[in-house]
Amino acid sequence: MALLEVRHLIKDFGGLRANDDISFSVEKGDIIGLIGPNGAGKTTLFNCISGLHPVTSGSIVFDGEDITRLKAHETAQRGMARTFQVYAASGDLTVEENVMVGCYMRTRSRAKAKYRAGELLNSLNLQDLSDYQVGELPVAAQKKVTMATALGLDPKLLLLDEVAAGLNPSEIEETIAVIKHVHNDLGITVILIEHVMALVMKISHRVVVLDYGKKIADGNPKSVSKDPRVIKAYLGERYVNEHKEELG
Amino acid sequence: METLNSAFDFSDFPRLDLFIAGVAAVLLLIFPVFPHSSFAMATLIQFFMFSLYGMGWNTIGGYGGQVDLGKAQYVGIGAYTTAVMLIRWDVPFWVSMPIGVCISVGWSFIIGYPLFRLKGHYFAIATIATSLVLKDLFEVWNFVGAARGLEISPIKYNPPDFLRLIFKEDVYYYYVIFGFFLVGILYINWFRKSRLGFQLRSIKDNENVARSLGINVHWAKIKTYAIATGFVSVVGSFHACYIKNIEPEDTMSLDISILIALMAMLGGAGSLWGPIIGAGILIPLKSYLKEWLGASANLVGIDLIIYAAIIMLISATEPKGVWGIIEKIRRRKRS
Repeated sequence: MALLEVRHLIKDFGGLRANDDISFSVEKGDIIGLIGPNGAGKTTLFNCISGLHPVTSGSIVFDGEDITRLKAHETAQRGMARTFQVYAASGDLTVEENVMVGCYMRTRSRAKAKYRAGELLNSLNLQDLSDYQVGELPVAAQKKVTMATALGLDPKLLLLDEVAAGLNPSEIEETIAVIKHVHNDLGITVILIEHVMALVMKISHRVVVLDYGKKIADGNPKSVSKDPRVIKAYLGERYVNEHKEELG
Repeated sequence: METLNSAFDFSDFPRLDLFIAGVAAVLLLIFPVFPHSSFAMATLIQFFMFSLYGMGWNTIGGYGGQVDLGKAQYVGIGAYTTAVMLIRWDVPFWVSMPIGVCISVGWSFIIGYPLFRLKGHYFAIATIATSLVLKDLFEVWNFVGAARGLEISPIKYNPPDFLRLIFKEDVYYYYVIFGFFLVGILYINWFRKSRLGFQLRSIKDNENVARSLGINVHWAKIKTYAIATGFVSVVGSFHACYIKNIEPEDTMSLDISILIALMAMLGGAGSLWGPIIGAGILIPLKSYLKEWLGASANLVGIDLIIYAAIIMLISATEPKGVWGIIEKIRRRKRS
């Protein structure tokens, strides 16, 4: 049975259709890459799945339960964690406190939350930063903190929204290692929105491509990267016409 | 047990702060022993009361970032519950005070539920409105004395009456409210480290992030609003016994609501010491300015001008108040 199943999901903002009849399913243990040009509706899809946006129509089934109408905090409690693309870390919470907020979902005890946060910070190599405020840190560390916070929820499914954007190659390697750790050691299923193709192609088992709110491709990374519709979405129609022979 | 440990655990503050706080506490404890004017005594009692109001406000307004300008309605509910129950049925303070808290908290749930659908300025305006409506209702409600208010006449009782909290000398009131003040500090010290405290700070940071961390944002706000209300209501009940003469205009006016919010904002919203520092600055300033300047005929109201100017200065230069300035200096020294 699929861990997550999205069926004919439609999301309208007024007259704008941000997600148009999207269906896909995620098996337990998958790493799914969700890609597409800017404005394709990837983050909106995340928001619909996690319950921040009410969906216009369609249904979402998570772990055997229909979660279409659930709010974000309810989906989180059922085992869905996510990170945000732009993390506005303006507040006065330190790194450790931030991760503790996540851990507090599963426990009421301060001691337990603190202990668990310490474990997570250690496992992501953030222990030296625990007393800094999140806003003081470089982007790469901030992104790791948001991942550690999401892991505090003990999720079954982790939705990562552009965790590699703005990172340099060595930081991207490190992020890949973190995602692999999450997947292999913690057994968490991952869906990631990403523009950094080096990362997507390297670790995704399957890639789902959105364009203008529609799903245009779904398959293994290799076949998707050769799909003319995907190339067209990224590089434009002219490129496809000019390079017809090379693309086969 | 963990709760108690956490309430008494101040170890995350620098030694210097704890030393200053300890010295201040000892000075306040022995203050009544030394010769003093009744005016100074009254000012200190006001300081404790407004510190407590500010601490309550600080939970939802400071840690949670929801600017609430309607706290006076709960001062009123607390004060009126205690006064009405004492006058009509001779119910002692220690019984009527918790009942007042229950009524206040019940009312806070009723209005909190719709109010927290609003955000930012709209929320602030709505809290003002509910408070003013309640005040107007009390002004025409004969059961609670309408606009004339209620008067607790001390002759009926035998002061010092510890059950009804009726005393002749202010020193008794001083120690009662001082006790509440210490309990209040311990409670907030626990609160800021509690699960709800962390959740609120996360909500203040970013509501959508908070939601996706499994926090029921609406419910967390309502719960905290009820805690803030409890604080204010307790002091409201005390106010009734201390002042003995309550009217809607004195207990529930917009001035009180704004003053409560300003205590915490001036001292530093979202910090343990903020409301106490704020009250420590504003209350003496307010009463002494009123005493010195307000007495000369031409200078009536100048106290308000001076204290408004200080508020503007602080909010323009350091929105996190006096505590924010202290923390900034410390951080600069460290790096």
